[in-house]
Amino acid sequence: MGQNLLEALNVRVVGSGDKILVLSHGFGTDQSAWNRILPFFIRDHRVVLYDLVCAGTVNPDFFDFRRYTTLDPYVDDLLNILDAIGVDRCTYVGHSVSAMIGILAAIRRPRLFAKLILIGASPRFLNDTDYHGGFEQGEIEKVFWAMEANYEAWVNGFAPLAVGADVPEAVREFSRTLFNMRPDITLFVSRTVFNSDFRGVLGLVRVPCSIIQTAKDVSVPASVAVYLKNHLGGRSTVHPLNVEGHLPHLSAPNLLAQVLRQVLPR
Amino acid sequence: MPTPVSVARQCLAEAAAVALDEAVNVAKKRCHAQTTSLHAVSALLSLPSSTLREACTRARSSAYSPRLQFRALELCVGAALDRVSVSKSGAAEEPPVSNSLMAAIKRAQANQRRHPETFHLYQQQLNSNLNSSFQNSISVVKVELKHFVMSILDDPIVGRVFGDAGFRTNEIKLAILNPIPMSSATSRYPPLFFGRLNDLEANKLGPNFPFHVAAAATERVDENSRRIGEILVNKNNRNPLLIGACANDVLRSFTDSLKRNEKTEFLPKEIEGLSVVSMEPEISEFVNEERIRLKLKQVSEVVENCRGSGILVNCGDLKAFVEFESVDVVNSVVSELKRLLINSGGKLWVIGFLANDDDYKKLLERFPSIEIDWDLHLLPITTSSSIGGKCFKSSLMGSFVPFGGFFSLPSELDTLRTSGTQSSSLCNFCNEKYEKELSVIQKGESTGSIADKHSVNPTSWLQIATSKRPNTAEVKDDKTVFDAKVMALKTKWSDICRRLHFSGTSQEDIFKAKSQSFTVSSASLGTLLNGSRTNLSPCTPSVLQKNFQSNQNIPIPQAELPVHGLDINDRCNSSISKGTMNLPIVCTSPPSVVSVTTDLGLGTIYASAEECRRKTNLQEQNISIRDSLESSGHHENASSRISQSSSGSHRFNKEMDMKDLEYPWKVLAEKVSWQTEAIQTIGRTILRCTNGNGSCHFSNKGNIWLSFLGPDKATKRKVAANIAEIVFGKQENLLCFDLSLQDSICPVNSIIGSSGLKFQDLKSGRKMIVDYIAEELSKHPNSVILLENIEKADFFVQSSLSQAVKTGKFQDSHGRDINVKNIVFVLASSVLNLGKSLPFGRVASEFNEEKILEAKNLQMQILIRYVHGNYSPESTANVSIIPSKTFSNQVNKRKLMNAESTRADISKRSSQLPRSIIDLNLPVEDTEEDSNMDTCDDDPEMWLKELLERVDENVEFRPFDFESLAKKILKEVDVGLRKVVNTKILLEIDREVMAQILAAAWLTDSKNALEDWIEIVLCLSVEEARLKCNVTSSDCVMQLVPCDGLVVEEQASGVCLPARIKVK
Repeated sequence: MGQNLLEALNVRVVGSGDKILVLSHGFGTDQSAWNRILPFFIRDHRVVLYDLVCAGTVNPDFFDFRRYTTLDPYVDDLLNILDAIGVDRCTYVGHSVSAMIGILAAIRRPRLFAKLILIGASPRFLNDTDYHGGFEQGEIEKVFWAMEANYEAWVNGFAPLAVGADVPEAVREFSRTLFNMRPDITLFVSRTVFNSDFRGVLGLVRVPCSIIQTAKDVSVPASVAVYLKNHLGGRSTVHPLNVEGHLPHLSAPNLLAQVLRQVLPR
Repeated sequence: MPTPVSVARQCLAEAAAVALDEAVNVAKKRCHAQTTSLHAVSALLSLPSSTLREACTRARSSAYSPRLQFRALELCVGAALDRVSVSKSGAAEEPPVSNSLMAAIKRAQANQRRHPETFHLYQQQLNSNLNSSFQNSISVVKVELKHFVMSILDDPIVGRVFGDAGFRTNEIKLAILNPIPMSSATSRYPPLFFGRLNDLEANKLGPNFPFHVAAAATERVDENSRRIGEILVNKNNRNPLLIGACANDVLRSFTDSLKRNEKTEFLPKEIEGLSVVSMEPEISEFVNEERIRLKLKQVSEVVENCRGSGILVNCGDLKAFVEFESVDVVNSVVSELKRLLINSGGKLWVIGFLANDDDYKKLLERFPSIEIDWDLHLLPITTSSSIGGKCFKSSLMGSFVPFGGFFSLPSELDTLRTSGTQSSSLCNFCNEKYEKELSVIQKGESTGSIADKHSVNPTSWLQIATSKRPNTAEVKDDKTVFDAKVMALKTKWSDICRRLHFSGTSQEDIFKAKSQSFTVSSASLGTLLNGSRTNLSPCTPSVLQKNFQSNQNIPIPQAELPVHGLDINDRCNSSISKGTMNLPIVCTSPPSVVSVTTDLGLGTIYASAEECRRKTNLQEQNISIRDSLESSGHHENASSRISQSSSGSHRFNKEMDMKDLEYPWKVLAEKVSWQTEAIQTIGRTILRCTNGNGSCHFSNKGNIWLSFLGPDKATKRKVAANIAEIVFGKQENLLCFDLSLQDSICPVNSIIGSSGLKFQDLKSGRKMIVDYIAEELSKHPNSVILLENIEKADFFVQSSLSQAVKTGKFQDSHGRDINVKNIVFVLASSVLNLGKSLPFGRVASEFNEEKILEAKNLQMQILIRYVHGNYSPESTANVSIIPSKTFSNQVNKRKLMNAESTRADISKRSSQLPRSIIDLNLPVEDTEEDSNMDTCDDDPEMWLKELLERVDENVEFRPFDFESLAKKILKEVDVGLRKVVNTKILLEIDREVMAQILAAAWLTDSKNALEDWIEIVLCLSVEEARLKCNVTSSDCVMQLVPCDGLVVEEQASGVCLPARIKVK
């Protein structure tokens, strides 16, 4: 795989410094989502950027519908990339689904990660007894139907909702990357995401985590951040971010960058 | 990276390939670089016996004649194709297939593979191709014309073109899917009702959908099982222990498929034919030791006789190991299995699961060596094997994407667009013009399309188009051109706006022109009113300017002649509004009273409309204050005071001698007497740096750098504003930035927040702070820039500042240099000092700066508390401060206030956020990290040290003495009460109110505004309350308390306090 994988997933390493920072984008975006955050870190970090295989910027042929049925293959990709470019220790920033990928990766290879920074992370989106994930099962199924029926309408409805804050550029940016994804892949990935349940494995994480939670996130209720903090096995902290929306790196990059700098291990 | 036509053709069945060839021809004829979905549509419509055309006939709306509508469609497609830019290099032999069209083909393949009619066929193909890669098998799927058309219709560019012609792609798709004539059904749909249509379509597709899922589920190799298989062939750690909420499901489906002896393609070849022995029932009970022994024995026998690749012992839920009381029994099982594993020679595996990590922890506590003994491999399971199975029962529709998202789609995008292009920096008038021209451009954008009348929202589709296919060069070009136009327009109007309404230089010209008429009119006004206090001398424009701003100045003397005064005042108010609305009038108005007042309007003109309203308000208040004065019979006394207070900070200008450059500093030092030293230092520094000829020009060195260190935030702002006035002529030449961003705990409605200065809003935007600063600096080349909390600057700001102090150029993030030759930089920080620690006031002070900063701008009320018997106040004074009524404990109150402000801040954005979030970082284990963080942050960094070494002067501010101010205020209230109210009265002032008054006094520019407030607002209210309730001093106490949550509606003049106090 090696070189091919690096090419296929558009792996980039930018900046200079001893410390390595991995930025992993979330569902519906690609690595360009970090563009506004990036300048804050390239002076003293080597920043690794890549696209998830489901991103619109990756050749859809690489998305194997038989393989990417769980999040583990995504973790394989991540670990393969890090091995291929010779990373032996890094700080990992993951947004949304990538936050969960980071958690799994840290369970598998604890020594590889100095710290996980989770943005908009949720171990489980569906509600359960004693757990509020924010969604009912039925709702999700209807959403999938809506996506199937009219992807365009769905994207246009979803993007402003996810961005939350009134930042038109961010909405435009998110819509763009969301549109870039092939609709069937989007649907498939969201099924995978909504189907996953991390609640049983959080305790296996030994790496310290920082959970960044915005004031209002359509997909992640605030209680989830508390849940994560209480159940993650490593030393973890929650950092409330005083902006709205699921995509603070698009809607409030300055603020997020400052918080990120604060939580980065020194 | 477009795809060669031959590759694309391989994916298509014959009919579809013909259509593609035709599309390629269309593109070639038009000299386009790529073959896009639009070309395909054009080709599909022109083909004989076209599926698309036929479907359109059935799906067309009955409102138009078919001939007309098809004509419209052809025109729309033609127009859309016209917009595609012509390839510069000339047409290729075969213009390659664009990404968007290729994606459509891929979508069609995926759809077709899952489609019920053809599913079995492809399943067979898939199976026969099992050994070849997945990619090969997918390329076997030849896209039929029907699916090709369907997925092309999904392309939003295509959808838009059809929309222009009055077709709905959804209906066309239905018509293609459904061979039964649809025309009757179509007419039933309510026209253009988006959500409903989606509903209908969802229902139509609904029955198919579960099938898709089921098909996908069976055809898919279970990823979890594959993973387990991989672990089994490991040399070490070869026995999987599944952990996770779905682990049970995964284990079951894995063992089931092994047992059923299905094609276990997920298993590596080495262990094909693995057989399963279940110990689940035995282990889950654990009661019958004998049974377990028996089972283990059986297992060992099976292993010995095993011919296949091996035996997998399924232990099921290992929770039993944790929960069973008798450790010995479990221990024996563990060790027996261990023995078997060692002796089996690689023919035995163990598998088990745990539902959550807690149990795993307990398991390790009980059997610390079980991981090694059993050679376990931990496998976190996060996804159940059966997607679309029990996890997705449908019931409700709700929060994820409320249908609102669908309904409001076009309008929403539209508003987003306008808010995006609108420039907030323009004044209303210019903005209107700008918007008008913008809309012209937007319309012009779509004039290429003949079907203009159908296009509801040209820009929104443009946006959609670009966002969907950013690599379609042609659309992008359109968009960039449009963007460039918008940008140009924006710049143009902001230029115009600045020249007309903002610019300092042009304004000065106006002032020069007006100065003559102003002196005349003010002089005549003065004589007219007998009491000329406006000793204006016709001097430099800058001084005049100051007088314009002090617009309270003129009406005040009229107070002595009530009749005239009121009259003129009325005219003032009306003409002020006139003046602010229309600038040109100002220049042509005759030198009369009206012209004076319009000039006053001019002073406020660059402020927003709101500002004007506020000023007018102030005037009205003035009148009302005067009215009340007259009634209370303290005429003379108060009126003189008003004139003092309202001329306020500008008063010194009258006597200002232009030769005496030190004078303004002296005046400022008098005004902020508590920071005399600091002011003197600042004055000296600035005089040193300017070349001393009295004008505002700097010496060659250019900019001036000051740092304001230490406490007393409000005074720093005040001083910065005064520097702006002294150096550049007006206080508006001050730019304020608070660099602390997220840590700023400035609560909502706080007094400090409502002080006149406008801070640049750094939070909401996406721009980097350094770019904000750079932009403002380039817009206002002659300004004072106040950077608060300089120590919190991000390092772009850091490096730009460090560079600017050396070179006089401020660099933005794009590397552009902004000349900061005529800028006064003021770097403020409340935490830094010059090394020697200052006496930070009395630490135990009742009112400290932090608390005053938090004081809220609340409405006040007077309550009356009746005391029975002989009430003896704790203090002998008539006026005293009482603990806040809500919180008695001082310390407690601090905390709560803190929490409250944070909460208010958060709840501003989210009402759902639980309170607990504040405490999230409190637990003990985190303190280490936190403190670690703090020390790093507060570390006086090198850059700052260097910067401070290079500034022209470091100015240290002393803490503001709130304590003695509080005493002074109490005394004044007492004096005032004695004056206004005849009888002796006991007044208790709530601590919170006191903090509010202190904050206002701290912030106010005018010396006497607070005294006036005490006398006019407070004392009169007390009197009113006394009269109303018929209070005699012996049995009751008055209390001045805040109205919780009620923000001040009307502000007193010159000071940030309520103009009225409620009386109960």
